Amino acid sequence: MARKKRTHDESRRDFLRTIGAGAVVSASASLATPSDATAQQAVATLGPGEVPVTLTINGRRHQLSVEPRVTLLDAMRTRLEITGQKRVCDRGACGACTVIIEGRTYYSCSMLAIEAQGKNIRTVDGLANGNTLHPVQQAFCDNDGLMCGFCTPGFVMATVALLEKNPNPTPEQAKKALDGNLCRCGTNIGVLKAALAVKGGIRG
Amino acid sequence: MDNRSPIPDPRAPQVAEVQAPARPPQHEKYPWPEKTRLLGTRVSRIDGPLKVSGRAKYSYDIVRPGMIYGRILRSPHAHARLKSIDAAAAEKAPGVKAVLITIKPGDKVLFPGEEIGALAAATEQQAADALRMIKVEWEVLPALANVEQAMRPEAPQVFTPANTRKGTAQEDGDLTAGFKSAAFTVEGTYSTQVQTHTSLETHGCVCEWNGDNLTAWVSTQAVHGTREGFAQGLKIPQANVRVITEFMGGGFGSKFGPDMQGLLCARLAKAANAPVKLMLDRKEEHLTTGNRPSAFAKVKAGVSADGKLTAFDATTWGTGGAGAGSDYPLPYIYVFPNRRRMHTDVYINSGQQRAMRAPGHPQGCFVTEVLMDELADQVRMDPVEFRLKNLPPLAPNAMWAKYFPIGAERINWKSRHVTGDPTPGPIKRGLGCSANRWGGAGTGARAHCEIAGDGSVVMRCGTQDIGTGNRTIMAMVVAETLGLEVPQVTIELGDSNHPFAPGSGGSTTAAAVMPAMRVTAGKARDALFERIAPQLGVAAGDITIGVGTVSAGGKTITWRDACRMLGTVPVSVDGQWERGLSAGGTSGVQFAEVEVDIETGITKVKKIVCVQDCGLIVDLKTAETQCYGGIISGVNYAVFEERILDRNTANMVNPNMEWYHMAGQSDIPEIDVVLVDQPERGVIGIGEPPAVATAAAVANAIRNATGVTLRSIPITPDKLLTELERAGGTN
Repeated sequence: MARKKRTHDESRRDFLRTIGAGAVVSASASLATPSDATAQQAVATLGPGEVPVTLTINGRRHQLSVEPRVTLLDAMRTRLEITGQKRVCDRGACGACTVIIEGRTYYSCSMLAIEAQGKNIRTVDGLANGNTLHPVQQAFCDNDGLMCGFCTPGFVMATVALLEKNPNPTPEQAKKALDGNLCRCGTNIGVLKAALAVKGGIRG
Repeated sequence: MDNRSPIPDPRAPQVAEVQAPARPPQHEKYPWPEKTRLLGTRVSRIDGPLKVSGRAKYSYDIVRPGMIYGRILRSPHAHARLKSIDAAAAEKAPGVKAVLITIKPGDKVLFPGEEIGALAAATEQQAADALRMIKVEWEVLPALANVEQAMRPEAPQVFTPANTRKGTAQEDGDLTAGFKSAAFTVEGTYSTQVQTHTSLETHGCVCEWNGDNLTAWVSTQAVHGTREGFAQGLKIPQANVRVITEFMGGGFGSKFGPDMQGLLCARLAKAANAPVKLMLDRKEEHLTTGNRPSAFAKVKAGVSADGKLTAFDATTWGTGGAGAGSDYPLPYIYVFPNRRRMHTDVYINSGQQRAMRAPGHPQGCFVTEVLMDELADQVRMDPVEFRLKNLPPLAPNAMWAKYFPIGAERINWKSRHVTGDPTPGPIKRGLGCSANRWGGAGTGARAHCEIAGDGSVVMRCGTQDIGTGNRTIMAMVVAETLGLEVPQVTIELGDSNHPFAPGSGGSTTAAAVMPAMRVTAGKARDALFERIAPQLGVAAGDITIGVGTVSAGGKTITWRDACRMLGTVPVSVDGQWERGLSAGGTSGVQFAEVEVDIETGITKVKKIVCVQDCGLIVDLKTAETQCYGGIISGVNYAVFEERILDRNTANMVNPNMEWYHMAGQSDIPEIDVVLVDQPERGVIGIGEPPAVATAAAVANAIRNATGVTLRSIPITPDKLLTELERAGGTN
């Protein structure tokens, strides 16, 4: 059962990187030598109360105040009413919360809002230009790559990230790029058709 | 807890429903057109743009002014008696606005995750923190984690009056004579796992009170049923409840009422005097919102030397959890002239089952179809030929004898080797087949249609689109009837303030709603004619509709100009489901091609062929997608998913989406769908039929590839390697 998020060979280090810098710090802290641990203590602690956070989402800056433990996904959904990405498994398994940050896909349920500061975060809400759908969105509609639609925003973002990096993927490359997303209705046939239909149609 | 659903009883007799009339009576006034313009074509979902852009607002996405967040307090134990509970600290915790405790000392819980209270706080984090502050003391009692434990004679009696409930024997023919005439018999015990619905949008809702009136945005398959559930549960009039479900993220049979979480959400909102959002998390979803029961069958079956089935004797059991049934149809489809079957429900300490995509059928199909391949081997017959010999007579809803040859051709059945791929090397290829049946008839939907002076058409119906494409096919029927294009029709659904329509279960929605669309749009068209006839100077009966036009007395005007004659008073008519536009009873077959790596035990499903009918096809595009979806769910059932309970605590060890395995994109086979149009039968549902047969076809293909018989799904690598080992390794 392949269900890796990344399109390329992946190591545990890559995985740690994808779940965010803070997670790397805490993971490495547990393995740290005493001198490393001392160095960590210099880092300022945040919380437990709310802290100011600035997020740049779909080109717009948002200032908000959240507890440091709040994920990027929950900050977007519950504080900013940016609800395109969905909360489904809430632990980095299903991909419904997939966002694009600096060209790569991230599970926004597994990244803290405070870690996402200073980065350009893209969600499905920002893809269309007014009422004109992004080519990937249009391809999902044309190829019936959706049913209930709850996984769709995640699949759309994963497809956009793939095609921006590799405008002409082979079916195998496209499948691998979409392995980090799960659908329960079983729309995968239409999803793959959509991903291959916009081949070469967009570039990053 | 609300488990009502319109799903038919899976115990329905196997042969009785196979006798649909060849040509059912057609509706007199508004029959389906002989020559269609839109029906049967490929139309893209009209809500696609909203869903791909994130603009579709699901219940999970609803935000109301001043809204706070609810969480449920649950039992961590499978079976326990409450000693004490103290919520004082939680009540004073930051952000907390309401606390409800629904259990009292001495009360028992019967499954992990059972609801014992709830609270609401300003943020989700505060609600989670406060929940942890509630001090609960339990007397933990012995729990039953599986059917073997529950059926042991010395098992603690957990359920009253017993841990099991024996059904009545179903018998037909003369079993002794049947076995006497058998040249060969097969005996074995077959089993299927418990699977959970795993809808991507979890169960839950947003509840908001305005005085005594409740508005609830609920992730449900039945807005009207859920309104009724809220009214009963809260003891308020249905008139005071409005349920809205504009978009919902999958239900598969598990979402037919407010459930406990809905009622608790409404009570929290009342107590806190603020709108409350209460959506379950993934673990709660796995534990408490339903599952497909397990099935076990100890079967002995006989076949004559010339390949005719003679006898079938089965003792079956299964568990639907704490106090719920587990029956399923058996034997499935094929005619065993002499048969006996006795089913026993077994209760264990887990969440209760609910209807799940074709309830009962995948279980009965798996047991019967694997048995069929074993019997075919006994008489050394080709499995397809063997099936053709033992099918019920051909009928519009029993077309398997026609479909098996079509599927065999498309999967290249003639390339099939006998059981056990003789090719050297670790990769073994195999083919398998199976058949399915389903009802899919619906009734009772009502609708309201308005045609305005500017030509707008609005159709309102209290049905819901659970991802099937209901909204789109509704628009297609209305557009076809009024001579319009699909985008010219506005469909409003998912609101209990709209005219009544039944819940979306049992694949009944299309067959319930499409006739209501046809009749209501037809009546609106006639009403329009009546209104404009005087101005056109003709009789209403002389007016006809073209495409975007209205014609009378040799003159043709545009739809818009015709509607302009209405002035400010729109056409406004009610209509409902009527006989003669829909039917029930479908049949289909599936073929599977697999590759099994006998060194790793990993099965790769390469291809599925599906030949399926569903009466009159409305939207070819969404109907095909229904088949793809059903088949993929069947692949999951065959080789991936399984609810695993800890044998000591009965707690679920994989209540998430990484260890509860489902197919990823790379696991999806090539799928070849052949949809058979039967326009004369009217509309029949197709949501469930394609989900039935896949697992059995895959299991038979694995058997054909490896030469070992796996009588238990999911066929995971560990099971397969164990069985290969037992069979003495591989060639």
